[in-house]
Amino acid sequence: MSVQDLTNAIIDGINGGGEQFLEGTLAAILPIMWLIILGLHLGRPYVLDMIDRFTLRLGADLLWLIFVGLRDLLIVSGVVMSFMFFFPDIVTSSDLQLPITGGLAAAALFGVLLVKLIGDPDHNPRDFRLVTGLLGAGAILYFVPYVLGVQANQVAAGPFATVSNFLVTSTNPNWAAGLAYVSIALIAIMGAGAAAYTLITGGRAEVPETTSTK
Amino acid sequence: MKPEDVSTAITQALVQGGAQWLVATIVAFLPALWTMTLILHLGRPYVLRTLRRIGLRLGADVWWMSYLLMRDSVLLITFAVSWIFFQPNLVVASDFPITGSLAALCLLLALAVKIGRRVDDDVQAYRLATAFLVLGATLYYIPLVFGVEAADQSYLSGFVSVFVSSQNQGLALGIMWVSLAGVAAVTGWLFFNALASANRSMARQMAKKEPPIQEPAVQ
Repeated sequence: MSVQDLTNAIIDGINGGGEQFLEGTLAAILPIMWLIILGLHLGRPYVLDMIDRFTLRLGADLLWLIFVGLRDLLIVSGVVMSFMFFFPDIVTSSDLQLPITGGLAAAALFGVLLVKLIGDPDHNPRDFRLVTGLLGAGAILYFVPYVLGVQANQVAAGPFATVSNFLVTSTNPNWAAGLAYVSIALIAIMGAGAAAYTLITGGRAEVPETTSTK
Repeated sequence: MKPEDVSTAITQALVQGGAQWLVATIVAFLPALWTMTLILHLGRPYVLRTLRRIGLRLGADVWWMSYLLMRDSVLLITFAVSWIFFQPNLVVASDFPITGSLAALCLLLALAVKIGRRVDDDVQAYRLATAFLVLGATLYYIPLVFGVEAADQSYLSGFVSVFVSSQNQGLALGIMWVSLAGVAAVTGWLFFNALASANRSMARQMAKKEPPIQEPAVQ
């Protein structure tokens, strides 16, 4: 082995290991992100109860702003961090184990952002139910293959092992690639819808005000 | 192999591998930045809707200021990070989306619209900035997802050979030089605009500071 061979081997190791570390870290953080997103969305009644107890309007406004900002920024971060599910080479890689419907979960999360853009989930019950449904569907699409597949494929036996392997991208690359393309199509359609809405409204808040309170 | 050879190999690997790792990290981080840029720009109606319901002026100002700062700094950072698409050696040697430099030019054009016109008050200007951002995102995402990140998919090999910069070096360099010329032109206009704007505002300030000329009394 020459010095150059050794150099190349180390470079490959650094780059390959670094990429896998980055993707592995994202995959490990995503369940935590999902849980916090769900917690903040479902904790809305608790925050509203607290706001009612404030004697100073400033404190109530700040609490609501921080709550809304944190909740929505985490949803945006969840979509951004889920971007690896849209890359065919990553979802078909044998080195990385990802939940097979992670891309669909990311599409559901993007759907939540679209509803928030076009509708008014904080004041319109129908939009709120839609957002809750999308978050619930996304959580199921993420956590079921994550817990039963990625985190259980070494302990599952018999028919459960088959199901477990089916739910992991590295052991089911054909389905993984297919679902990635479906997710890309969904994101592209919703993204085009968001762009069209913003172009039509010119960036103004066009939804009529509803009379209900926060 | 002697110990010095191993030492040399590790040193070279750390230097070369570190450089490659830095470029790869920037390339990997760009989709996240692009997505943030788009979401923050397109989310303006939602932010305005929330803003309307804030009872106090202070809260509304804090909310709007945070949104503007975040939106525009992410846009600027995305353009700054996209500068790797204008480095010919990297364009030829690395797997970049072939239209990455054009996407960066679109980002700069969106920035120029924001600087030249009042995007948050002028609907047409906002639409123009949105169109540049959507066009740039399309030019970035399509070659990235179906080219750079699909190199191992045999059925996409034709797409990969066209849309990945290292596979189609002549076209990649051509697009890069054209985009660079566009960036130079837009930057030149930005400089001119900044100077003209500064001259106007400073002339107004100077005019305010100068004492009025007293005319001699007529006898």
